[in-house]
Amino acid sequence: MARDGVVLEVDAVSRSFGALAALTEVSLTVREGEVFSVIGPNGAGKSTLFNVVTGIHAPTAGRVRFGGREISGLAPEAINRLGIAKTFQITNIFPEISVFENVRVAAQSRARESGRLPSLWRLPDVGDAVTDLLTAFGLTDKRDELAENLSHGEQRYLEICLALATEPTLLLLDEPTAGMTPGETKAATALIRQIASARGLTLLLIEHDMSVVMGISDRIAVLHFGEKIAEGRPEEIRSDPRVIEAYLGPAEE
Amino acid sequence: MNRVLSWRAVVVGLLVALLPALPFMSKFYLLLAFDALLFGAIAMSLDLLIGYTGLVSFGHAAFFGLGAYSTAILLERGVLSLWACLVAAVLVVGLYALVVSYFATARRGIYFALLTLIFAEVVYTFFRYTQTFGGSDGIQGVPAPRLMPAFAIDTPLRNYYVVLAYLALAYLVCRVLVASHFGKVLVAIRENEDRARFLGYNVQRYKMAVCLISALLTGIGGALYPGRSAFATPDLMLWTVSGEFIIMVMIGGLGTLAGPVIGGAFFVLLQEKVSSYVDWYFMVIGLVLIVIVLFMPRGLLGIRAMLGFKQWRATA
Repeated sequence: MARDGVVLEVDAVSRSFGALAALTEVSLTVREGEVFSVIGPNGAGKSTLFNVVTGIHAPTAGRVRFGGREISGLAPEAINRLGIAKTFQITNIFPEISVFENVRVAAQSRARESGRLPSLWRLPDVGDAVTDLLTAFGLTDKRDELAENLSHGEQRYLEICLALATEPTLLLLDEPTAGMTPGETKAATALIRQIASARGLTLLLIEHDMSVVMGISDRIAVLHFGEKIAEGRPEEIRSDPRVIEAYLGPAEE
Repeated sequence: MNRVLSWRAVVVGLLVALLPALPFMSKFYLLLAFDALLFGAIAMSLDLLIGYTGLVSFGHAAFFGLGAYSTAILLERGVLSLWACLVAAVLVVGLYALVVSYFATARRGIYFALLTLIFAEVVYTFFRYTQTFGGSDGIQGVPAPRLMPAFAIDTPLRNYYVVLAYLALAYLVCRVLVASHFGKVLVAIRENEDRARFLGYNVQRYKMAVCLISALLTGIGGALYPGRSAFATPDLMLWTVSGEFIIMVMIGGLGTLAGPVIGGAFFVLLQEKVSSYVDWYFMVIGLVLIVIVLFMPRGLLGIRAMLGFKQWRATA
């Protein structure tokens, strides 16, 4: 049963690779419309958590529920069709086709024809949706460029366009500002926040950059060695001694 | 609706249809032209896999050969209707292609090429080393198929127009397909298979579907072959034949459809010309291929762009 406003429920999820426990009984509850961030030092299990939610890995134990429905163990394409889209930490686009065609192939996956016989001869018109997204991310001028010729920052935006074009209700962003300059990061953060609220999206964010996280998040969870050590609002996290210790090391010297 | 046929394709089609009117078109040249069009169409079907989806099939000779055997077996037993032969070929090739594509698309990368090759070798071995369908001799001297009960396709000219009709239909099918929702997903799979999955596409299902379509088009081509040659032999399914199909696609230009048609025709004509002079014709063809791959990576169709006729547009 979907409880009020709960979009995603990660319930005591563990995932191990051989002897390595990448996640140990991690639980999170993401509510509708909020921006929820997961932070932690390298190797804390953030990406594994994302991979479990998006279907790359099945959890070793525990469950993931989306809108009240259990999704643990489903294939990535099935999870995407339920309304979870993901962007990648390392830009993951279609390099040798145009920017417009990149977003089109993403948008048409939600067309009525998709997966049905008429898709063999029909081309759904998704031009408006594509144009809207390109406009929102300032890529209109680049629509006919091959995606591989975009600048790094533009490719990061295209990456988000692809995910948004599948009309998700929950968007997972894996370090969306990775590799951006501080100026670009600031602009990107503001843009993501604005688009998320305009579209009524729920965001789940992995981020390294503390300034991004603090500025954008409603709530933050901190992972350390695969365990959740803290969860709360940004100002609570900022002053949490366990978090400071995880990031800066124990204060013994 | 997007425009499927360019006026250029229509003009070229009409010119090819008028080819038999040329004074020097003897029966020999008509049969040569038949082969050029047939293998052009098959190379085009293979281009759906190689050029658009990024899947290299090393087993297309089996689809071709199974189509040819389906027809030859029926003709030998007195079932002369071309339509019956085509239905049989579609059923046989379709069933085989479903099995092959299911296993071949379950793994990624090189496994697709290997598994299509291995399956094709199994089929070849069956026809070559059992006597069920004539062993190494295959099925020889079958009668001509009939378009209608009183209309046998028994002259090179009639065969020529049958294969031209097949090529034209196959071209239309491929053009519509690559311009469709489905075709866009194929290109996305070629470009970045993982990302396509995260956009909600069941990649294996798309790969199986395009395999099946490509195999059926190739199998239908094979089904027309005994009408021209009066035989079906295991040699049609040799792995070298699959290799030649790939070469035709490469020569013509990947991911262009029209290119591989030209590539197939070019290959057939070059082989015929060179082999009538020297036994080691494959060396010559090999050299031509190396030159094309090195200096014209977009194949023969890319010449247009090289000569500055028209700015090349990437397949999308």
